Amino acid sequence: MGDNVRKLRCYINYDKEEQWLNDMAQKGYELEDVCIGYKFHSVDCENTIIKIDYRTFLKKSDFIDYCTLFEDSGWTHIAGSKNSGTQYFKKIDGNSDDDIFSDKVSKSGKYKRLSDMWLGIGVAYLPLYSVLISTGAIDANSIFHPKLLYLTPGLWEKTGADFLGAFLFETPFALMRGFSWSIILLVIILAFCFALKANKLYKKGIK
Amino acid sequence: MNRDKNLPLTETTYYILLALMEPAHGYHIMQKVEELSKQQVKLAAGTLYGGIENLMKQKLIQPVQSEDIRRKVYVITEKGKEILQLDFDRMEHLIEITKKYIKEI
Repeated sequence: MGDNVRKLRCYINYDKEEQWLNDMAQKGYELEDVCIGYKFHSVDCENTIIKIDYRTFLKKSDFIDYCTLFEDSGWTHIAGSKNSGTQYFKKIDGNSDDDIFSDKVSKSGKYKRLSDMWLGIGVAYLPLYSVLISTGAIDANSIFHPKLLYLTPGLWEKTGADFLGAFLFETPFALMRGFSWSIILLVIILAFCFALKANKLYKKGIK
Repeated sequence: MNRDKNLPLTETTYYILLALMEPAHGYHIMQKVEELSKQQVKLAAGTLYGGIENLMKQKLIQPVQSEDIRRKVYVITEKGKEILQLDFDRMEHLIEITKKYIKEI
C-alpha cells in the first residue's frame, strides 16, 4: 500500500524538472499525475528515468498516435493530456536509449513550442486589455491613483460619518476592481516573460 | 543556379523519406531507419514525431488509411520522391568529384 505525496512547484526549465522528478524517483517516489501540483506514489524499484516533452494536440487521435509511438519505443506516458502541453514519460524497456530525443534540435524544440504558446497568450490578451482601457472600462491611472477605483460620485467631498459609510461600503468593490484590472496586466507581463525565458532556453539548447 | 531550398537533406530526413517509399507507421519507421543505416542512425520517439510533422508540413510525406486506429501510417509523396532524387543526384556528383580530386579514395 503506497502512500501518496503531493508537491507544488513551478518549472519552466525542463532539464531541472526532469532532474527533480528523477531524484524523487531515486528516493522511492514515482510521478503519478500532474494537476495543479505533482502527485507521487511510492515505488520499490529505482532507476526510473523520466523525460519530458511539450506538445499540444488538436485531435484525440493525434494524441493517441503520439503516445503509442512512445510506448512502441519503450516509453510509457505517465502524466499529461491532449491539451495540458507538458507530457511525462517513463522508460520501461531496458533496450531503448536513455532519452526521448536523439538530437539537440528536436530536444530543444519543446522550448520553442512552449515559448510560442506563452507568446500567443500575451498577444491574445494585449488587444483585450487595450480595448478595455480605451473604452474606459479600465482606468489605467488607477495603479498610481487608487482613489480612481472608487466610482461613487462625490465620495471624496463627503465628511465625517457620511464619508466613512460610503467609503467602507465601496471598498470591497474598489479592491475587486483594482485586483481584476491589474490581474489582466499581470497575466500579460508574465506571459511575455515566460515566452522570453523559454525562448532563451531554446536558443541555448540548439547551440 | 537555383537549387531547391530543401537541399541538402539531413541524414535523418533522407533516411525517413527512404523508409517511407513504402507505407509505414511511426515505430516501424524507427526500425526501418535503424536497419537501413546499419544501426548508425537511431531515432528517438520525440525526434521522430517532430521529424514526421515537419515532413508533413513540407508535403514530402502524407498520411494514408490505416487499419490500426492507434497508429497513423505515412507514405512518401511525389514531391518527396523528387526531393529524394535531387539529393541523390547531389551526392552522386559529390562522390564523383571526390574520386577525381582525392586519388586515395
